[in-house]
Amino acid sequence: MAEQTEKAFQFQLGNFHAKKKPVRWFNEVGLGFKTPKEAIQGTYIDKKCPFTSASVSIRGRILTGVVVSTKMKRTIIIRREYLHYIKKYNRFEKRHKNLAAHLSPAFIGVQAGDVVTVGQCRPLSKTVRFNVLKVQKKVVKGAKSFAKF
Amino acid sequence: MVLVVALVAASEIVRGAGGRVARGKRPQDARGGISRDSRHKRSHTGAKRAHYRKKRKFELGRQAANTKIGAKRIHVIRVRGGNTKFRALRLDSGNFSWGTQSVTRKARIIRVVYNASNNELVRTNTLVKGAIVEIDAVPLRQWFESHYAVPLGRKKTETAEIAKEGSNHVQRKVQARRKDSAVEQALADQFAAGRVYARLASRPGQSGRADGYILEGRELDFYLRKLRSRKA
Repeated sequence: MAEQTEKAFQFQLGNFHAKKKPVRWFNEVGLGFKTPKEAIQGTYIDKKCPFTSASVSIRGRILTGVVVSTKMKRTIIIRREYLHYIKKYNRFEKRHKNLAAHLSPAFIGVQAGDVVTVGQCRPLSKTVRFNVLKVQKKVVKGAKSFAKF
Repeated sequence: MVLVVALVAASEIVRGAGGRVARGKRPQDARGGISRDSRHKRSHTGAKRAHYRKKRKFELGRQAANTKIGAKRIHVIRVRGGNTKFRALRLDSGNFSWGTQSVTRKARIIRVVYNASNNELVRTNTLVKGAIVEIDAVPLRQWFESHYAVPLGRKKTETAEIAKEGSNHVQRKVQARRKDSAVEQALADQFAAGRVYARLASRPGQSGRADGYILEGRELDFYLRKLRSRKA
């Protein structure tokens, strides 16, 4: 019952819950992305998770970026850096764009600085059109370093 | 040229979005009107977007139905593409399913009991998708007793084995079904009271129907707890 945090009963759409033990529904997202174990074994309900919700499909662009902030509920901001060429000076300048992506509860412990792969899906909110598919933890130089708990 | 969508004009005075009184149910008045665009909102960066064009008809929104319980009153609306929507203004019954038994029967809606979004909708008995309502238990109980020949929700004193007429073959069928006729206690209590809790699964303002499914299992426990804590 830990996942019923909202005022309305949370359930997976299309999955009848009253028949004995509810069987969790999950799917493969495709394009070679592995469904995280937490999505299969967990109990969370998220209608925007690409692994446990049939209404969200991943199609279109697949992008990567660095996580900037995780302060929102189930969504994160990603920063994507790129170089823009100025023809007159034959040089580049650094530019960046921020992107809001939905972070499924299947990914636990995502922090600022992690590298993340996101896939395009249908609009999930005013600014969110991407869904996190894969998280690579930040590589910390130096074997023994204290990370903030 | 102001485009006016021809609607069945309501005889009542309808309050517009800003509290203004608007006659009929025009989706767009000359000055006001509900639109579903995002051009009036700030962009992702926070920038205020310049107002460079008027509202378009394809961005229109209409007044909410706020379907109440009462004698059936449904307005037909012509929508984009020539299609129709059935705006239910008053409904009294709907088609309700009993999931574990896979039966659906038409039942009267008594009142709205819980709404996760807004307590106001409970107070005013407004039917919306996802609202928890009380429905008349009789149609489903009648089906159950005729299907299983087992009393459901009857008081102890008036329990009489409902005699199932029919040929030997029919009676054997009914007997064989009996082993599946277990009903959870919380649900049986509701049948005894004559009122069953159900959740609306249709959108009355769009389809003109108030259909749904009766609450069972963990969902029923969840909402019973919510109701008990509200009463307390």
